[in-house]
Amino acid sequence: MKFVLRRLLAMIPTLWAIITITFFIMRLAPGGPFLSEREMPAEARAALNAQYGLDQPLLVQYGRYMANVVRFDFGPSYKFPSRSVREIVLSALPVSLELGIYAMLLALAVGIPIGTVAALKQNTAWDYGPMSVAMLGVSIPNFVLGPLLIFVFALTLRWLPPALWGPPENKILPAVTLAAIYVAYVARLTRGGMLEVTRADFIRTAHAKGLPEPLIVRRHALRGGLLPVVSFLGPAMARAVTGSIVVEKIFAVPGVGQYFVNGAFNRDYTLVMGVVIFYAGFLIVFNLLVDLVYALLDPRVKLE
Amino acid sequence: MSASDETMHSGPAGEAVLEKGTSLWRDAWRRLLRNRMAVASGILLVLIGVVTLLSPVLPLHDPEAQNLELGATGPSLAHPFGTDVLGRDLLARVIDGGRVSILVGLVATLVSFIVGVSYGAIAGYFGGRVDNVMMRIVDVLYSLPYMFLVILLMVYFSRSIIMLFVALGLVQWLTMARIVRGQVLSIKQQEFVEAARSMGTRNADIIFRHVVPNALGPIIVYATLTVPAVMLQEAFLSFLGLGVQPPAASWGTLVNEGARVIAFFPWLALFPGFALAMTLFCLNFLGDGLRDALDPHLRHE
Amino acid sequence: MKGAETTFAAGTRRGSRRAPLVFVAVVLALAAVVWRLVVSSGEVSQRYFGRVTPPEGDVLRYANGAEPETLDPGHMSGQPDGRIARAIFEGLLIPHPQTLKPIPGVAERWELAEDLVTYTFHLRDDARWTNGDTVTARDFEWSWKRVLHPDTPARYADLFYLIRGAREYKQGGPESGVAIRALDDHTLQVVLEAPTPYFIELVMFYPFLPVHRATLEAHGDRWTHPENIVTNGPFRLAHHRQNDRFVLDKFADYWDAENVRLDGIVAYSMDDLTTMINMYRAGLTDWNPSGYLPAEFVPYVQHYEDYRAGAFLGSYYYSVSVGNPPFDDKRVRQALAYAIDRERITQFVMHNSVAPWGRFVPDGFADYPYPQPVTFDPERARRLLAEAGYPNGEGFPTLEILFNTSEDHKKIAEAIQAMWKTHLGLDVALTNMEWASYLRKSRALDYQVARRSWIGDYLDPNTFLACLKTGDGNNRTGWGNPRYDALLAEASRERDTERRMRLLAEAEAIALDEMPYLPIYSYRTREFVAPYVRGWYPTMLDTHPFKFIWFDRGGLRQTRATTGAAQRHASGGGRR
Repeated sequence: MKFVLRRLLAMIPTLWAIITITFFIMRLAPGGPFLSEREMPAEARAALNAQYGLDQPLLVQYGRYMANVVRFDFGPSYKFPSRSVREIVLSALPVSLELGIYAMLLALAVGIPIGTVAALKQNTAWDYGPMSVAMLGVSIPNFVLGPLLIFVFALTLRWLPPALWGPPENKILPAVTLAAIYVAYVARLTRGGMLEVTRADFIRTAHAKGLPEPLIVRRHALRGGLLPVVSFLGPAMARAVTGSIVVEKIFAVPGVGQYFVNGAFNRDYTLVMGVVIFYAGFLIVFNLLVDLVYALLDPRVKLE
Repeated sequence: MSASDETMHSGPAGEAVLEKGTSLWRDAWRRLLRNRMAVASGILLVLIGVVTLLSPVLPLHDPEAQNLELGATGPSLAHPFGTDVLGRDLLARVIDGGRVSILVGLVATLVSFIVGVSYGAIAGYFGGRVDNVMMRIVDVLYSLPYMFLVILLMVYFSRSIIMLFVALGLVQWLTMARIVRGQVLSIKQQEFVEAARSMGTRNADIIFRHVVPNALGPIIVYATLTVPAVMLQEAFLSFLGLGVQPPAASWGTLVNEGARVIAFFPWLALFPGFALAMTLFCLNFLGDGLRDALDPHLRHE
Repeated sequence: MKGAETTFAAGTRRGSRRAPLVFVAVVLALAAVVWRLVVSSGEVSQRYFGRVTPPEGDVLRYANGAEPETLDPGHMSGQPDGRIARAIFEGLLIPHPQTLKPIPGVAERWELAEDLVTYTFHLRDDARWTNGDTVTARDFEWSWKRVLHPDTPARYADLFYLIRGAREYKQGGPESGVAIRALDDHTLQVVLEAPTPYFIELVMFYPFLPVHRATLEAHGDRWTHPENIVTNGPFRLAHHRQNDRFVLDKFADYWDAENVRLDGIVAYSMDDLTTMINMYRAGLTDWNPSGYLPAEFVPYVQHYEDYRAGAFLGSYYYSVSVGNPPFDDKRVRQALAYAIDRERITQFVMHNSVAPWGRFVPDGFADYPYPQPVTFDPERARRLLAEAGYPNGEGFPTLEILFNTSEDHKKIAEAIQAMWKTHLGLDVALTNMEWASYLRKSRALDYQVARRSWIGDYLDPNTFLACLKTGDGNNRTGWGNPRYDALLAEASRERDTERRMRLLAEAEAIALDEMPYLPIYSYRTREFVAPYVRGWYPTMLDTHPFKFIWFDRGGLRQTRATTGAAQRHASGGGRR
């Protein structure tokens, strides 16, 4: 408990470092938020800069921003001036969260069994076959897989809609596309971890005791074997629930992912900062959970 | 007991360790050769590497010579892989593009391997405050807006291939570090590490001779997963202008361009995609073979 | 212990011999299936790409492009923003759906006084805001002056500078000096600085749409939210979700509501072109606007009867930063221009989705006497380059083409790179930059040759030619020519259309000789419109007023049956 509290407190300096570095990195990039192909009158530009305080010295802007962030006020978006960053992120976050969770559950539900079977039947067709399928997930980039799935299931078979976020049938293709890459990671890491563990002493002991294999797998092997998967899951979960620009673009999903890239291109400083803060928050929390799960899976790991 | 074996053969007597070490590698090599899938994959990989390296001297079309009138055509005798929308020979472009992709995949993975493993092992081994600070730094690096880093690299530095490695290396080692740290947290509690420590072995020796080799399985597995990630990341960066400069190409950029027109010119995505997938599969099986061969529990059988 | 080992290793020997074969077979089979599926798609023989039967309910669904930045007509600057704004707001005049010529909107009629600078608009008395207020001349006066207020960040404020006193007000002068006056509730008078024949075109442009003063004053920046917004157009905003959709309902108290036949509009915000095409293909949209179709698709979809192509008011060209040698020599610029094979680019790279064009003012102005275009003449290009001191490109530094990140820009740059290499012997490097960095560089003239394009704001050659005025913010070449500026100034004072157009053409001829811009092509519209959509016409600005659009349900019964029936329906449904 004390451990969790200490880690949560450590969030503050971490977040502060992230915000500060991000703030200045963004301002180093050339161009500003109000650029357009058509030159706007100098008066209009000056009015915009004044309205957003961009005409102030950088340190003043930084101080002002930090003062607002402490009050959970992330300011208005530069690109979408009628909406606040908090509003934009909070309306998009549930979508990304839902999609990310589906994708991760799918990846675990498919990846762990594949990896386990492959490890138990090492170097047989049961190993190569499923692992090859899993590998397809990383070998076929999602910008190819997405269109391919749409082509087959939406345009040719007409089973599922090609895009838009809405009823459950709209969520299948984006979730599968997003999950594909994680399936490969989970399966490979599970297989590797399982092989490691199945040779370890306590498993051998269990076998010697004549315990049935499925029980050994479930009760002992999977636990230690999943360590690398769990390590991977921390950052992966944070990434998955904050959206993927490719999947969001292909399936027109109104999630958070696109703001990371488009926000940078638009120099929408406040919006980028907003999504970075949310992402960092998720990352830190998930990594904390990962450390807790370590101790749960492997009694030898001590929390300190 | 494999754990105690470990401690014995790498005791303070330096010479013995060296001798034992070489025989270890020889054993691993022998075990690797027994794995048909790994051997086949290895041979294929070497073949792919040699072909892409030799592309300038092979009797191929000029990968950059355009034939606008021809445009995109399907596979034929003259162009076994067909041609792209500017009428360039796809076979030549795939072979030529492989050089960059393989180079990028290997170098960036190696960098992430070295940095990530050392960083993660040190953090996990020392634990406590060291671990805490080191992992918070990783969290910070994870969270920085990557697009802005890429934009800055493009604007303030020359657009050389080195910058591409920097951009890739910036992030790829982070997950590796976390995985290694997780393994080390578990391994360092095992008896043989305790034993080594009680015998007064230096920390660096313990980390890199005892702890890391025992975490090698997941490390190799994750490294082989880094290769595809890096290759596809390269396509994205090249699209943005960092990395491969047109008219040159890489597998990633070829697949990316092909994916846009997959409904009309499927070969433009399929052939480079196949080259990419083939390489990744081989790497995967070779990686598994290596993992098995180096498995500490299988030694001394 | 050994027992355990055997369990785990069981079957190793048997499996490993066959495994590689099995694996290769699986991969090949997968590839074959994918190939088969993908290839067969190219052979679709239907006559329509999208759906042929109207959806239930008279709601037009279309892909609106990237998420609009704002719904405030005074601030907006993008096509997607403008399409929504024009549906929910109505200006004094609106474009005719076919010709884009002004027809009555809130103004019933208007007149231009003898002095050619005083416009008087007479507003109808039955125009309503969605909250029940009457739309008055004072609304327009306030709205237009708001755009000109020094604190309003209006991107198109400069379009109002034609109005007497407007520029001065924006730059700190008195509000009273602005010649926009509501003489009474239903009469608006505007006095221009100088006669401007295209002013009436401008009045239809979205910065000139009215806004509801009380709403803005009550809600500030948040006045455009669905729960706050008050509008006066044929449709009203019912729902909005960022990066998803806008839902518009018909406004029952709109003055011309009885002639509005759509019950509503759904505008999807999406910026991936393939996604938009998929939506149309799957019958989820009834219209896929121009520009939202990748050029590569054109050869494969142009035979469909729901594909529409037409002239569009836009030019694509390369600009040259003329300040530094060797680009300060006009012969070098001419050589570059004459060495571009425009036909090949438009035909083979852009698949005839655009038209080769050797001028800056795009095709489509009937009364504009176009000057001689630049042609593809490699001989002449080589000669010019030699005269400039670089025979066969010897001694010429490596030339750099700057373009913003896009697959099309890249392919065109690659093609031109090869052309300049072949015809002029120049070494050309390509520099791809993301949008903001690219704009920053091109604005600072920190480049050699850069990709540019310009889309007309209104139907007059001036919208293009004004860019090249000395020191204009959109010039971005460092080029200036006093004679050119003088001709444009003279044209703006000219009352006779024919003489005015001649002056403009004369100015363009100067630019085409000095070549600060290297023309490449003029845009064309390319879009999908479902066969049952009526009241939609191809237009030069790709503007399609929604109030005139309706669904033809004439052939509904037959079309349900077979494709053949669908075809009959379309040919029979062509009547108007």
